[in-house]
Amino acid sequence: MIDKKKHKVFVDGAIGPAFIADSIAKHSTKKNIGAHSIFLGQVRNDIINEKEVEAIEYTAYSEMAEEIFHEIREAAFTKYSLTCMHIYHSIGRVNAGEISLFVFTSSVHRKDAIQACNEIVERIKNEVPVWGKEIFSGETYQWKTNS
Amino acid sequence: MIIKINLLFFGQAADITGKASWNFSGITNTLELNEKLIENFPGLQTIKYSIAVNRKIVRENTILNNEDTVAILPPFSGG
Repeated sequence: MIDKKKHKVFVDGAIGPAFIADSIAKHSTKKNIGAHSIFLGQVRNDIINEKEVEAIEYTAYSEMAEEIFHEIREAAFTKYSLTCMHIYHSIGRVNAGEISLFVFTSSVHRKDAIQACNEIVERIKNEVPVWGKEIFSGETYQWKTNS
Repeated sequence: MIIKINLLFFGQAADITGKASWNFSGITNTLELNEKLIENFPGLQTIKYSIAVNRKIVRENTILNNEDTVAILPPFSGG
């Protein structure tokens, strides 16, 4: 059974630990799954010019981003033998220490889930039109660059 | 016919231009558009950006049609 249901990728604000736990719990009914791979991106309190990053504010070109997320999903389902896949990305403000990206792949055997999850995360970083603005304490900011 | 395009600015490009969107007319391709943009907003020369025509990134000079949506996209930094 393959679950290719589409859902909205963008969520307002941080992705809560309870939401992540609930997503895992929902898969207990899919007993052909033997492996899950999960990537969680957390906002880091980088120090830049002696100022600490307090939060990242994400904006996106939503219409284009949804198309790219769709392409990434389709490519992963074609290349890897996946049972299901979920991608969530924050939009708006996410404080340091909170989760802003949640990629969740499941497969019968571990290699498909692990490799697909890695590839999806790399593609999201490189190809999806999302921008992070690093907010420092005192309301100054700079635009984030992905390393 | 004078074509009219819908321009969208994101991230740092929106900061520099002070706009999220703009109607632009009288240009026929992305090379011309880029020249006009830099004329109007010299600050754009200080950043890197890609251009998307109707949500597809174009790497080479591309002919523009009436009502096309053209987006100015600084380097992505999601995740």
